Amino acid sequence: MTLKEILPGEYCIVKQVYANNLRKRIIDMGLISGTKIFVKKTAPLGDPMEIIVRGYSLTLRKSEARTIIVDRIEE
Amino acid sequence: MRSIALIGNPNSGKTTLYNELTGSNQSVGNWPGVTVEKKTGKLKSNNIDVNIVDLPGIYSLSTISLEEEITANYVVDKNMDLIINIVDASNLERNLFLSLQLIEAGIPMIIALNAMDIVEKKKEEIDYFELSNLLGVKIVPISARKKIGIEALIRTVEEFDFNDEVAKIKYSDDIEETIDLFASYIKDRFIAHRFFEDGIKAIVNIKIEKSDLAKLLQAHYDEKRKYTLDFDMILPNARYNRIFDFVKKTHMKSDIYEESETDKIDKILTHKYLGLPLFGLIMFSIFFLAFGPIGIFITNQFIWLINQFFSLIINGVDSIGMAPFVSSLITNGVFGGLAAVIGFLPQLAILFFSLAILEDSGYMARAAFIMDRALKRFGLSGKSFIPMLIGFGCSVPAMANTRTLDSDEDRKITTMIIPFISCGAKAPIYGVFAGALFGGGSFIVVFSMYILGMLVAIFSAVLFKKMLFRGAKANYIMELPEYRMPTVKNTLMHTWERCKDFLVKAGTILLAAFMIIWFFSYFGVVDGQFRLLAESEISNSLLGSIGRFVLPIFKPIGFTDWQATVAMLTGIVAKESVVGTLGILYGVNGDVVTNGTLLYSSIQANFTAAQAYSFMVFALLSTPCIAAVAAMKRELNSWKWFTFIIFYEVFIAYLIALGVFQLASIPIGDSLTYVFSGLALVFVGFMIRKFIRNKGSICGDCSSCNKTSGCHLPKYINFKEDITNKERNQEDE
Repeated sequence: MTLKEILPGEYCIVKQVYANNLRKRIIDMGLISGTKIFVKKTAPLGDPMEIIVRGYSLTLRKSEARTIIVDRIEE
Repeated sequence: MRSIALIGNPNSGKTTLYNELTGSNQSVGNWPGVTVEKKTGKLKSNNIDVNIVDLPGIYSLSTISLEEEITANYVVDKNMDLIINIVDASNLERNLFLSLQLIEAGIPMIIALNAMDIVEKKKEEIDYFELSNLLGVKIVPISARKKIGIEALIRTVEEFDFNDEVAKIKYSDDIEETIDLFASYIKDRFIAHRFFEDGIKAIVNIKIEKSDLAKLLQAHYDEKRKYTLDFDMILPNARYNRIFDFVKKTHMKSDIYEESETDKIDKILTHKYLGLPLFGLIMFSIFFLAFGPIGIFITNQFIWLINQFFSLIINGVDSIGMAPFVSSLITNGVFGGLAAVIGFLPQLAILFFSLAILEDSGYMARAAFIMDRALKRFGLSGKSFIPMLIGFGCSVPAMANTRTLDSDEDRKITTMIIPFISCGAKAPIYGVFAGALFGGGSFIVVFSMYILGMLVAIFSAVLFKKMLFRGAKANYIMELPEYRMPTVKNTLMHTWERCKDFLVKAGTILLAAFMIIWFFSYFGVVDGQFRLLAESEISNSLLGSIGRFVLPIFKPIGFTDWQATVAMLTGIVAKESVVGTLGILYGVNGDVVTNGTLLYSSIQANFTAAQAYSFMVFALLSTPCIAAVAAMKRELNSWKWFTFIIFYEVFIAYLIALGVFQLASIPIGDSLTYVFSGLALVFVGFMIRKFIRNKGSICGDCSSCNKTSGCHLPKYINFKEDITNKERNQEDE
């Protein structure tokens, strides 16, 4: 499944980051295979989404989230 | 003299530290250029003489925006003797990523571990001695905002021994092997690191022997197979693993999750239903403050003051008894123009001040977060919202603000559409015309101008995206910083710097432009004699002749007398002068700028409602004032785009004014006009919708996609092609 499908309040682990124009930035921001992510919320208009990764808060669009393959995990 | 570069993540407190380190004796210099916002100052030290350079914040040496490139290039070119790397201790893991990249660069470095007060407040602990040992870099704990540890940092810089061995970092054996292999061709280990991560992009500006280059590319191709992870993910992965290890050893924190202040504030400010209304309210209050009664009152006082000051000088100039054209140049050309521009300063200062508070507190990032979805429709990013908002005040600072956008295309598009957003200086034009001809409905007319401006801006953004920047993506990825209480000093500093930027521009480029325009407005042929003109003779000026000459072109859009064209031309200096010029040309006694009603009768005599509306449309959409044009040139930094946008603006303005005037002139009656306008609007709406519909979506893996054209996958796929192409070229030779 992709990061886009993870609902606010859920945790997941990154499996793969696919090609998109922000791929390198996403990797450099710490989303690497094996990284744990907490999905905090989505913006009032439904997009972008806010995630907590490596202890800080990052926002990204669902179009990018769709290219990040994750596994949902229980906290 | 030695130079020190301040490098760190965006929002890690660099500028605050910079101000503390340079103190009051700073000499802040701005280099104009693409987007150069680097500042240099002198270190506040009695013992040594060093320069400190403050560079734009970066997350990584692999850059995605122009602003970031400045910093990255600074590191790659090794333009400094020492780096002070600012690390935000409250966000240790991500900040250390850049630190490791900087250590790879092999430049002497000190880490300033910032925000230690926040770490303490959270009841956490960082063993920075241990961290310093692990990294091999000196670490000074500081709090730039609370001014703790600044002395210690300065002392560390003073005592820094440049003969010491520079810290090194070693990753796993196979990674080191790969780097060694690359380095054997590139002859630079650091660039080899960059090549590992960024591919061909890293060696574009590096001289490599032709035979080596072929081998290097082959090596890249071969090494790729060695790893199970994606090639460009290997180094970042190794870094983060190393960092995770370090942080685990040195960062003591409780595992129990506690709701922070930021979480509490965000629960309201980015709330699902409350978020948007609150956002609207905040934006409205800022506008109300700057452009409402308070702003107008302050502006009027300020303008009065300026006029007093200038008239003092003007009287002085007159009394000296210089040649009349010299005194005219000074009074009308220089001071007249400057007064028109500087008159905006109070409103701008209020605007800048409010924005500085929003920026420093961390709300600005939330604004982009909230607005992104709405702007994405038009191919822009949430961050474009702020410059567009400022555009309602004045285009000049709005364009400067586009530098915060991530992609070059985004920045260009936003810069090009800002002039369509009706700025504060255009308001008097609407006020006078709508007031004179539309009576009670004038409010709706004025409002319609603002709406029209926004519609054209949005339409243009979509058009540019579709036609000119095909495949360009508005990037959006943004960190949400923790909320902070803005400090008075920083807010004022921010405000002052932006105001100064504006003033410097007014004093240089604009001054030259004013003089040229002055020449055209105050010289002309009277009774077969070319001479300086009096104020009342402006109709004989060169500008007047030009106005008459171009009049036929403006006939179709409803300009029937030359006064209208001349007034429009003077709008190039500053849009406020349009109304003033009309006053002079129609021979109105009294100050029409402060009291628009004086002009009503002349306008009623010379314009029909349709003509007036067409005039307003043209004033709104055509080329902005010279200050904005100069800013546009500076931000676009390309003659090609600059020329294009100037022509585009005039064309669009003419086209829409033509449409409006012709539609309104159809004699069958007003009702039909409304029907037509409605239909036209629906049509435009459909066109926009169609454009958006066609917008390609970002794709993930290629397996499920069978599109053959319009694929814009990222650089590393191009990279493969690059390699094959390069190989082919080599074979050809």
